[in-house]
Amino acid sequence: MNAGRGGGSEQLARERRAGKLLVAAVAALAVVAAACGGSNASGGGGGGPIVIGASLPLTGDFSQPGTAAKQGYQIWQSMVNSSGGLLGRKVQLKIVDDASDQNQIVTDYNRLITQDKVDLLLGTFSSLLNLPASAVAERNKMVYVEPAGGAPEMFSRGFHYLFFAQQATAPHQADQFVKWIKSLPAAQRPKTAAYPTQDDPFTKPVIDSIRKHLEALGVRTVYQTVYPPDTSNFSTIASAIKAKSPDLIAHGAVFEDGIGMIRALENVGFSPKIFFETSAPSQGDQFSKGIGIDNTEGIFYTVSWSPDADYPQNKQFVQQYEQRFGGVPPEDAADAFAAAQVLQKAVEAVGEIDQAKIADWLHSHSVDTILGRLSWDETGAPQQSFLLAQWQNGRSEIVLPKEVATTDHVVFPKPPWK
Amino acid sequence: MTGFAQALLLGILIGGVYALMASGLTLVFGVMNVINVAQGAFLIFSALVTWEVWSTTGVDPIALSLVTTPMMFLLGWVVYRLFVRRVLDAPPSATVLLTFGIALVLEGVMGLVTRNVFHSVTPGYERTSFYLGPLFLPKAYVYTFAVAVVVLSLLYVLLTHTWTGRAIRAASQNLPSAQLVGVGASSVAAMTFAIGTATTGVGGSLLAVLFTFFPASHYVWISRLLGVIVLGGMGSLPGAVLGSLILGVAEAMTSTYVSPRWATVVFYIVILVVLLFKPSGLLGRPVREDVVAA
Repeated sequence: MNAGRGGGSEQLARERRAGKLLVAAVAALAVVAAACGGSNASGGGGGGPIVIGASLPLTGDFSQPGTAAKQGYQIWQSMVNSSGGLLGRKVQLKIVDDASDQNQIVTDYNRLITQDKVDLLLGTFSSLLNLPASAVAERNKMVYVEPAGGAPEMFSRGFHYLFFAQQATAPHQADQFVKWIKSLPAAQRPKTAAYPTQDDPFTKPVIDSIRKHLEALGVRTVYQTVYPPDTSNFSTIASAIKAKSPDLIAHGAVFEDGIGMIRALENVGFSPKIFFETSAPSQGDQFSKGIGIDNTEGIFYTVSWSPDADYPQNKQFVQQYEQRFGGVPPEDAADAFAAAQVLQKAVEAVGEIDQAKIADWLHSHSVDTILGRLSWDETGAPQQSFLLAQWQNGRSEIVLPKEVATTDHVVFPKPPWK
Repeated sequence: MTGFAQALLLGILIGGVYALMASGLTLVFGVMNVINVAQGAFLIFSALVTWEVWSTTGVDPIALSLVTTPMMFLLGWVVYRLFVRRVLDAPPSATVLLTFGIALVLEGVMGLVTRNVFHSVTPGYERTSFYLGPLFLPKAYVYTFAVAVVVLSLLYVLLTHTWTGRAIRAASQNLPSAQLVGVGASSVAAMTFAIGTATTGVGGSLLAVLFTFFPASHYVWISRLLGVIVLGGMGSLPGAVLGSLILGVAEAMTSTYVSPRWATVVFYIVILVVLLFKPSGLLGRPVREDVVAA
């Protein structure tokens, strides 16, 4: 996401790279040590475990979602192994840390494929990291199912082995939100809207597409702005928005900017009738504690997963997470679990580890996951739609689509900040 | 006009807090020639401690700086005795590598202990503002600015009116002469590093009230603070204050009148232009590397 982090003295950047080299060196040593230890982890058939390799951002900018993704993979692994494994073989995960770095992740996947000779791959977190990683997998003709990377650029490269294991790419993320606004009687629809967004491949396309749809519907755009990832002061943006007093704010937030913006809106004393924000509101109590639970009332967001959704294995996933890590699973853990499910179903259907056959199967079948049923077009872009959720009475409820909604009540208009 | 006054006020308020955060960094560089890249990680560490204590006891987070400041002073002293002392005579790159290592370790430990999630400290007043006619002043900004001004003033008094402070300044101006008149280089360095780190105690507590943070947030902060002290003049405390105010006001003005997209860029353009004409920064002293004694 923040490839172009504005600041950073050259010195710092250099030392940061040096630090990563060190980390890489230590990691390399660890690999050598493991190899000398006579492990039989490398590839091959027979009765040995199936080794699945992935590199995740366990440190650095994306360490928070990266850690959650690792938990999702681990829970999937223990659930598969306790029910007899994959193709009758135990599953072993080989997860390395890419430090949220685009160069490191290329090294990591190359090493997983050519030196560790893993049997299967799973993807990493964020479009920024999945872009280069999926290219490595494609070059090696390895199936690459990724849990979080829906930027449009991912799917414009004509890859055959890439699959995105969520319901929709970023430009379609808010389809249900637009649908809800269209469903309002004309008199109640918002007249004006403001669109602040972070410069991020997973937020900006969402906000751009909402704006396009709403403008077509006659909602006037009174404010729009794009701010860089390291922005921490939102007071000036909030005060500019207040000056235009729009009916609707659609905010492209990643996380801390989501909280920063709401606090700033509280500070200037402006509350819109409809407030939509990407990503941040899906972070459970990290979000509600950040802005105060009373102030969550009526905030819309889209999400790929709900702990309450009645999909197969969802309940077991939530239970296992609670037992092993405590608390409600974050969405990122659920997405990772679903990505592993996709890979599992395809391997089981094909009956052997044949990358080309697995890819062909996924292109022609749909898979049931804890995110619901997923299927893909020829570029690996999924064809379903995200859930529209809203904070109500201190809980997040699914509002649309109707089939999985947890309530038929929608809070509208949003009450003022408390 | 209202927009201008509003942006100026917000910029000054936040600039004051940046100044406090940058003060320790510039102090340590001025006296010891050490660029403490771990300053950002120290800030986040103090913010985490503030969060932990606030969330379990409910004590006001700003008042908690009375606890975090001595705590970070102690931590700074220990880090100096254990690590920094050993590389003082090494080339500057060694100290950068060392302190970056400390930052990485601290980030890793914080990630393990706190499950790597975001934390927000919400005493209640972070959501409300004072109103001055058409202008709004977020209460959290006002309170943290006031604390920053008090602490910076105390630091100034400490440096100008106490023996320790005079020894620190003497060592930063001319170490060999300071040693001749009985200033112990090692104890001054230890004291400086501890004081420099102590500023992250109160700085971290203020950061916790103003922003949401997680262990890896330190990268954003250290790059911002390094920018500030390069602009103001490495080693100059008034320079750090001036640099911070320029950063705060430039950010606010740019995002009001141009676009938030340019807010960071404009600040770095200012740095570039200043360095073109005054390579030592706004209030920095030119350093003749050829005669600086090791």
